[in-house]
Amino acid sequence: MRVLDSLFAKSPFAPLQSHMEKVAACVQKVEEMFQAYVNQNFDEMDRIADEISALEHAADLTKNDIRNNLPKGLFLAVNRGDLLEILGLQDDIADMAEDIGGMMTLKRLEPLEGIEADLKIFLDKNIEAATQAHNIIRQMDELLSASFGGKEAEKVKEMIEHVAYLEHEADILQRNLSKKLYNMDDKLSYSSFALWVNVLQSVASLGNLAEKLANRVRMLLELK
Amino acid sequence: MGVETILLLIAMACGFYMAWSIGANDVANAMGTSVGSGALTVKRAVILAAVLEFAGAFFVGTHVSETIRKGIISPNLFIGNEFDLVYGMIGALLAAAIWLQVASYFGWPVSTTHSIVGAVLGFGVLYGGMHAADWEKVSFIVASWVVSPLLCGTISFTLFTFLRHLIYDSDDPVGKAKRVTPYLVFVVFMVLTLTMVFKGLKNLKLDLDVTDSLLVAAAVGLVAAFVSRFLVARIKAPPMEDRIVVRQPTAVSKGVSKALTNLQKVAEQARGEVQEQVLTMVRDLEALDKDVVAGTTVEQTSQEHRTVERIFVYLQILSAGFVAFAHGANDVANAVGPLAAVITILNTGQVAMKSAVPLWVLGLGGVGIIIGLSTWGWRVMLTIGKKITELTPTRGFSAEFAAATTIVVASKLGLPISTTHTLVGGVLGVGLARGISALNLRVVTNIVISWIITIPAGAVGAIAFYYMLKAIFG
Repeated sequence: MRVLDSLFAKSPFAPLQSHMEKVAACVQKVEEMFQAYVNQNFDEMDRIADEISALEHAADLTKNDIRNNLPKGLFLAVNRGDLLEILGLQDDIADMAEDIGGMMTLKRLEPLEGIEADLKIFLDKNIEAATQAHNIIRQMDELLSASFGGKEAEKVKEMIEHVAYLEHEADILQRNLSKKLYNMDDKLSYSSFALWVNVLQSVASLGNLAEKLANRVRMLLELK
Repeated sequence: MGVETILLLIAMACGFYMAWSIGANDVANAMGTSVGSGALTVKRAVILAAVLEFAGAFFVGTHVSETIRKGIISPNLFIGNEFDLVYGMIGALLAAAIWLQVASYFGWPVSTTHSIVGAVLGFGVLYGGMHAADWEKVSFIVASWVVSPLLCGTISFTLFTFLRHLIYDSDDPVGKAKRVTPYLVFVVFMVLTLTMVFKGLKNLKLDLDVTDSLLVAAAVGLVAAFVSRFLVARIKAPPMEDRIVVRQPTAVSKGVSKALTNLQKVAEQARGEVQEQVLTMVRDLEALDKDVVAGTTVEQTSQEHRTVERIFVYLQILSAGFVAFAHGANDVANAVGPLAAVITILNTGQVAMKSAVPLWVLGLGGVGIIIGLSTWGWRVMLTIGKKITELTPTRGFSAEFAAATTIVVASKLGLPISTTHTLVGGVLGVGLARGISALNLRVVTNIVISWIITIPAGAVGAIAFYYMLKAIFG
């Protein structure tokens, strides 16, 4: 009978997970971008920047679709505000990836002798944090089937604490890296220096947003 | 053909039509989820539902039928004008049936029960004034309409929360699920049997006292539980499928753990800068170890959850059957109650307060429901089943068990309630326990509105048909 049918509303969790897949794709592209930069392949960098933009736009469409289907009269398995915040944070990560992609194509960046290795480690650490946040979101359907409690919640909590730890490590790396960068400003043109400072900030934001996202998921859990 | 025969035929046709539409629309609620999840083929679902609906109607249907026949408006009012009651009851049947058609055309969540109660009540009050109705009984009935979804929701919330903690908090969800199944089966069969034998049908010698009823019910429950233990033991967890893209072989996870232990030993003994570097490596390796472990555990959990659901598929079929039984017990009265009143008058010429609803009338109602189910209801089952994929077996079992228990208790108390609205309450209860992704609360508002509109609509229709019939036959 139609009553029972209309009682069940479209679940926002599957679209949320598919949105995160698109966000993760954006983040992966940032790694490619850095590889192209190391190879000083500027055409490739432009191409990748365009790809990231396209991916981010696709993610935005999914995001809007989710928001359109979450009226206030819906009773969700999680707090509606928390869900929308998680979606917003996922979107912020995609935006950040797009920004990094755009920034790195603003001028032909010369190689940075001496700190290139540190740069790579720093980027990898942040991307790892974002990837771990992605893994957490992939656990959403399992969490739902366990009603956000029990052993599954314990497992996700471990994953969340791991993301926080990764972000902490990224902070340490950022400080060391920034120290080196600020002390080699005489070797760089002003525009390059300013650009790198911005890029470092944005890469660090990837890690910060990943940690924020993980902590938001923590609020959904019912832990003992 | 005498006037009485014509009226009897009209009454039976209306009653049959009411029963048919109950079978066509409402039964799908019980069986839909089992069909949708593939646990039952449509054919098996129809057969199961048919058997249980009839059983419920036949064995437990008298109480509510009695309420509708003489509990709402007093038949004594019609002594001397017995045929007025005949016209009124037939009018009520017609009004309720037509109102249901209109409502389902517009997609309103109207219930068969509310329609017929509203029609009978409205006719009585318009005929005999305010004291024609037994207002104490009526207020009980209306209260039960509000209480039944709430009670059902409470039971389903409690049951699902209990199952959640029992199964998903443990290290061995599949084992726990297997162990809890016989207990749940025991409870279902015990309640089912209890309703049939405690104050059951006297003419079938099913009227046992408290002790005997409990003993018989417990015995049936134990047998069923025993059988279920065998069936459940045969379910094995299926082989692991690849859930994540990159999967580490066991050699890798073992190797990483081993490397970590060795490196930790080195870190303790190293000195100076080397110690710093080794410590960093230890931290990275710890993180890697966690990742690898998490990789294999991810598969295990999703596999376990799926197996738990598979176990509950059988419990869900059981609870769906239970709901069908309860539904037959409560809703057959909507068709049979007025019909029984008409038949008693036409056969005996008296309003006959004492005599119970004849068994063959109950049987007729049951048959009507079955025919409605097999001609149209199966289609609705398929539609519902496809759409309600959210109601996984664990959730479905909790909601349906709660609904069946509530409905069957109400039936024993002679209270006509809406099975659909009760089931909605059950689903909401599970949703409150965070068992369902998203529920549309507007449905609740629509249901409350339907309560308010249905009673006057049924009343007006009943009176209109009463005057029509009186004009034609009076």
